[in-house]
Amino acid sequence: MNRKMHIFTLIMAGVRNRPGRNLATIFCFAFIAANIFSAQYLVAGGEGNVDQGISRMGADIIVVPAQYEVLFKGIQMGPVKANGILRVEPSNLRVSNDILDKIGKVKGISNMSPQLFVATHTIPELSSSPVDIYGIDPATDFTIQPWLQRPPDRILGPGEVIIGSDIAGDLSSKISVSGHQYTVAGKLDPTRSAIDHSIFLPMDDAYTLAAAEEINSPSSSHIDKGSISAVLVKAGPDADPEMVGARIQQPFSLAYIRVIGRNFALEPVSREVQGLPNLLNMISVIVILASLPLIALIAAMVTHERQREIGLLRALGAKRKVIFSLVMAESLILSTVGGITGVGISLTVFILAHTLGFFRTALLDSFRMPDPGATVLMAMLAVVVVIAIGSIAALWPAYQSSMMNPYDAIRNEG
Amino acid sequence: MIVVNGVTKAFSTGSSEVRAVDNVDLRVQQGDFVLILGRSGSGKSTLLGMLAGLLRPTTGTVRIRGMDISTLSDDKMAELRSQDIGFVFQFSGLIPTVTALENVMIPMLFSADGSGNRAKALDLLKQVGVADRADAYPGTLSSGEMKRVAIARALINGPSILIADEPTGDLDVDTESEIMALFRQLNSEGITIVMVTHNPDLIPCATKIYRMSHGRMVENLDSTLCLKGPKIRDEYKDQP
Repeated sequence: MNRKMHIFTLIMAGVRNRPGRNLATIFCFAFIAANIFSAQYLVAGGEGNVDQGISRMGADIIVVPAQYEVLFKGIQMGPVKANGILRVEPSNLRVSNDILDKIGKVKGISNMSPQLFVATHTIPELSSSPVDIYGIDPATDFTIQPWLQRPPDRILGPGEVIIGSDIAGDLSSKISVSGHQYTVAGKLDPTRSAIDHSIFLPMDDAYTLAAAEEINSPSSSHIDKGSISAVLVKAGPDADPEMVGARIQQPFSLAYIRVIGRNFALEPVSREVQGLPNLLNMISVIVILASLPLIALIAAMVTHERQREIGLLRALGAKRKVIFSLVMAESLILSTVGGITGVGISLTVFILAHTLGFFRTALLDSFRMPDPGATVLMAMLAVVVVIAIGSIAALWPAYQSSMMNPYDAIRNEG
Repeated sequence: MIVVNGVTKAFSTGSSEVRAVDNVDLRVQQGDFVLILGRSGSGKSTLLGMLAGLLRPTTGTVRIRGMDISTLSDDKMAELRSQDIGFVFQFSGLIPTVTALENVMIPMLFSADGSGNRAKALDLLKQVGVADRADAYPGTLSSGEMKRVAIARALINGPSILIADEPTGDLDVDTESEIMALFRQLNSEGITIVMVTHNPDLIPCATKIYRMSHGRMVENLDSTLCLKGPKIRDEYKDQP
């Protein structure tokens, strides 16, 4: 029975005092922490997705053989969800890749890449739908590879393919197309379009496959080496895509190629999405700034309410620094509990929302949870910021309490 | 032991100044049981506050064992309150969120070793007769029990002086008698007691009796008068 009492007992007694009020204070801290954590989490988890979402929006312009437009009236602009151009539609219309040199000289282009449609095959072991086979230039491709489930660690090499989400096969597995063996080097996320049952080969392999196709199936259209089905073009960030399109068209006859622009209805969304991290960070800063006086007011009210108790402690021999520490420690405990609670609730909501697929949007295919290390860092940051807010807000009330005249408290007792 | 010389305590109220204690002298010897009588507002509690190191006099000196406590730093005053002076408040003054036992231990947290010894606190609760209520919270204690716990708390750091401000003011007659018996017992054990009250019925307990009126010490009665308790009591009932 010779256990000792420590100052912590007194601190915890202060925290337990008036549970309703302290719960409300904890709720305030939790709200702030949840806000800070959520903003950071969304920025971190969404930043990659925002970039990815924008990169997945495909090309602004597609340069195709002149007859293509006639052939595909009401052209399907790639996957509906991205509303951008990801690939050329299957067609036997082709032009020489010489056009790349001229297009490359056009001002205002940030990316351009050729595509070649090779053939459509029924390959039951790979997909229940007909499989579209394409040649791409892995070094310049900017419409297909952003859809890879995992970012590539190297450029697609000879004998390797990228497969759509509906094509059977895992990474590094072998697939066979018209007797040719390929290694799956990448698999795409679902696009809910024909891309999901497409296969993409490096351009040279596509020519090789096309030549073999011709041998195997004399009815197949002849594909000359150096011919391409389309050039996909992305306008620079400051360039007007319509102007870029006009410049591309200019040196070519309308009877030779046609420049088709995408639907830019989504463009404003893209700009908004790019500004999202800044907006979220700004909201965090506003919450922090707005919460400081609120928490300070709560702390001041709490200490005012406890004047008598604090005065009694002073009368019983507590030095000023002890009273200061008591008030600060109570704020520290409340802010820590509130911070952890807020972060915990936020994280739970994020996990649930992610599991239930609430993050699936037109632009962000799916919210990708930041890795555990980053999550822990963000959680710690949110808790530390909340503790800092609680400490700063408690400074003045703690100082005032420490300066309280114990005699006044005793006289007010009762 | 305690020597008060020409102490005045003035409070400003707007443009005017009120002298709650006005040029008071007082001497308390080791082992004394001093009773300071006076009506409400006579300045006795203010004087007690200065004796306990809770207030600094406006003028004059308060010396405890030769040390002028009015010149001490705030921290030294706190040390003095923690180590040398036990204080029993007019009302219980217990912290409502900790148990009776923990209330008793609180002053130990502010003493040199900074931690509370439960066994010692429990012994004191036994001494004041409420050991069985050690784990009870103040809200569940009777007035008498709270007062006993408060006395135990005042004694926990082994002070040589016990200062009590109207310690029986809110108690019934029987409980008042019990508490006063406790004070007498503590005094007989060598603790110097300075108590203020407006209740002349307590006179028989004291070895020295002072009376204050309007901030001044108007009478200093010899301890032998205490033996004439009922007579003195009757006289004091009619005093302003």
